Amino acid sequence: MALSFIIATACIASCLSFFVKKKMDTLGMIAMIASLGELTATVIASAAVVKNGSYASAVYFSIDSLGAILLILVAVIGFIVSWYSAGYLKAEVAKKIIGFRRVRQYFILLHLFLFAMFFAIITPNPIMMWIAIEATTLSTAFLISFYNKPSAMEAAWKYLIINSVGLLLGFFGTLLFLYPALQAGQEGLITWQSIRANVSGFDPFVVKIAFIFILIGYGTKMGLVPMHTWLPDAHSKAPVPISGLLSGVLLNIAFFAILRFKTVVDLAVGRQFSQELLIFFGIISILVSAFIIFVQKNYKRLLAYSSIEHMGVMALGFGFGGIGASAALLHMIYHSLAKSLLFLSSGNIFLKYSSTKIIRIKGVMSVLPFTGVSFIIGFLAITGVPPFGIFITEFTILSAGIQNHPVVTTMALFGLTLVFIGFFKHTVAMIFGENETGMQRGEAGPWTMAPVVILAVMLTITSIYVPSFIALLINAASLAY
Amino acid sequence: MPNSTQMVFFLEVILFASVIFMHLSKKSSSVIALYVLQSLIIAMLLFGSSFQEASWSLFWVALVVFAVKVVVSPYFFHKLISENQLKFTASTYLNGPMTLVTLALLTGVTYSRFFKPLTILSRQNEHTLLLAVAMMLISVFLIINRKGALSQMIGVLSLENGIVSFACLAGLEQTPGLQLGIIFDILVWVIIATVFASMVYKQYGSLDVTEMTHLKEE
Repeated sequence: MALSFIIATACIASCLSFFVKKKMDTLGMIAMIASLGELTATVIASAAVVKNGSYASAVYFSIDSLGAILLILVAVIGFIVSWYSAGYLKAEVAKKIIGFRRVRQYFILLHLFLFAMFFAIITPNPIMMWIAIEATTLSTAFLISFYNKPSAMEAAWKYLIINSVGLLLGFFGTLLFLYPALQAGQEGLITWQSIRANVSGFDPFVVKIAFIFILIGYGTKMGLVPMHTWLPDAHSKAPVPISGLLSGVLLNIAFFAILRFKTVVDLAVGRQFSQELLIFFGIISILVSAFIIFVQKNYKRLLAYSSIEHMGVMALGFGFGGIGASAALLHMIYHSLAKSLLFLSSGNIFLKYSSTKIIRIKGVMSVLPFTGVSFIIGFLAITGVPPFGIFITEFTILSAGIQNHPVVTTMALFGLTLVFIGFFKHTVAMIFGENETGMQRGEAGPWTMAPVVILAVMLTITSIYVPSFIALLINAASLAY
Repeated sequence: MPNSTQMVFFLEVILFASVIFMHLSKKSSSVIALYVLQSLIIAMLLFGSSFQEASWSLFWVALVVFAVKVVVSPYFFHKLISENQLKFTASTYLNGPMTLVTLALLTGVTYSRFFKPLTILSRQNEHTLLLAVAMMLISVFLIINRKGALSQMIGVLSLENGIVSFACLAGLEQTPGLQLGIIFDILVWVIIATVFASMVYKQYGSLDVTEMTHLKEE
């Protein structure tokens, strides 16, 4: 029931937003009530997973521990982003950047985007998951071109074409994975369970080819290097709350798809094959993004490249396996919180400075004190400075790899150090110093401040204390990897 | 059924040839016509499968595929051409001879050891399956090599046609419900891509993607 409720709520919210006329507050209210409802249903479903190991609602929806973690992430970040969006778009309307029609379009697409992400997580069928992930591309394309500028249009076109090609290759891989189940005469909806049950019917070479297509296909959506080229453009051109969702949640959904297939490949040909591929893509993602972060001139692109780096860290964690996989799952949670915090803080900076160029941002701490502190918390967390959780997860992942992959681990450590130095340089330049333009001190308002503060508090608390139900879910989910 | 196998091989050869001709074609309307031909063959394969299985639901799926790919999508593309007066597709990154060499190489790769294991999926259609894979790779190359947004769109759809033909040959067809879900996704994709192409034309005065340089300039 809870899972059906989540899907229905996102759908209804999108339809209701369509019929709203001229009242922007109503759109914000619908978004907040809907996302709060989704969050509540998520808590109920996740509690059932903690208790029973899995949870099914109707015939077509079910989640396990990994699904529950992802569902919580989408619901939490979805709620905070919906809240922030209401304030942020109001401020943009006040600045005459957009009009009411755009705001309505934004909320309709936001709910559809959330709907597609929820659906991708809770469907037990790989083809339906593919349809849902493709739907995330379609629903966000117009959000990326939201400001209707040539550069935004260019980013959206690039996003649409590259992701569509990637996902079609992923679709081909998905079809190959269904072969043994279809061969065994399986009728109706093929689930992950039935694919795993028929794994003995796989030809090892076919399953390897299939996984390569999956990794290239969903890896494109996840932003792994060298399929990442769309990501910095799309994440930097979308409205800030959407960038938060894209970086904080959507990339994880693509990784979730890869992990689902990984369990099948591991059963068919052993873990080594998928682990080596993940290590390869993980390390090049860390290194390439580290160098680009170092020389970055745009703070939204900086955050986008940081997402590529962290996807690489997670891939590396699952590539190393064992304790590395558990740490990678915890890393996923911390990254989602920290990246959303950074994007929303950068939204406040953009509202004040009207620029995304690092060189034009000075003295954030004196002009926007709350945002400045939040950005520093986000920076410390995302670069893995203790006591923040990412320090522990990165340390654990590297520890898991040092014995069997010393060269890769050393390269990863070098990459992470470079990221810290680069991020530090840019953050200091933006946050401190004197603002010489005589800008008035003060935040845009409580609606854009409160969600940022809540994220910062959540990130700090979970860094010190991981709630027991999250720990249970992570332990259960990482057993398969 | 040797006759049926031969017929399927013949249809797959036409599909393969259509994507080769897409590379060679300079006129937008010719590229669309080739896509219509491709889609018609895909619909025929699906109709054939529905008759073989004596399934009404598969018949309806084939009919929807026909409607979306042979009627609706080309309508959108022709509208895009007439609204923006796009008689010719944009040029390619590689010249004609180099394009042909690349096509030959891609086809060669398909028949290499890497893709050979895929033939296990249908021993009856061994060579036809690899031809479908070649069609997929050549479609991806169409997207990479062409500078025109319309050609890129048709490249994506041709890739999808290649995957569907592979699935038909390898017996990987999905339930009618899922097939309808996929075709709905394709329809929405076509509509969104066409709208975007129109918006790109309004912003840049051309559908040549090399004109899009605003991201580089920032």
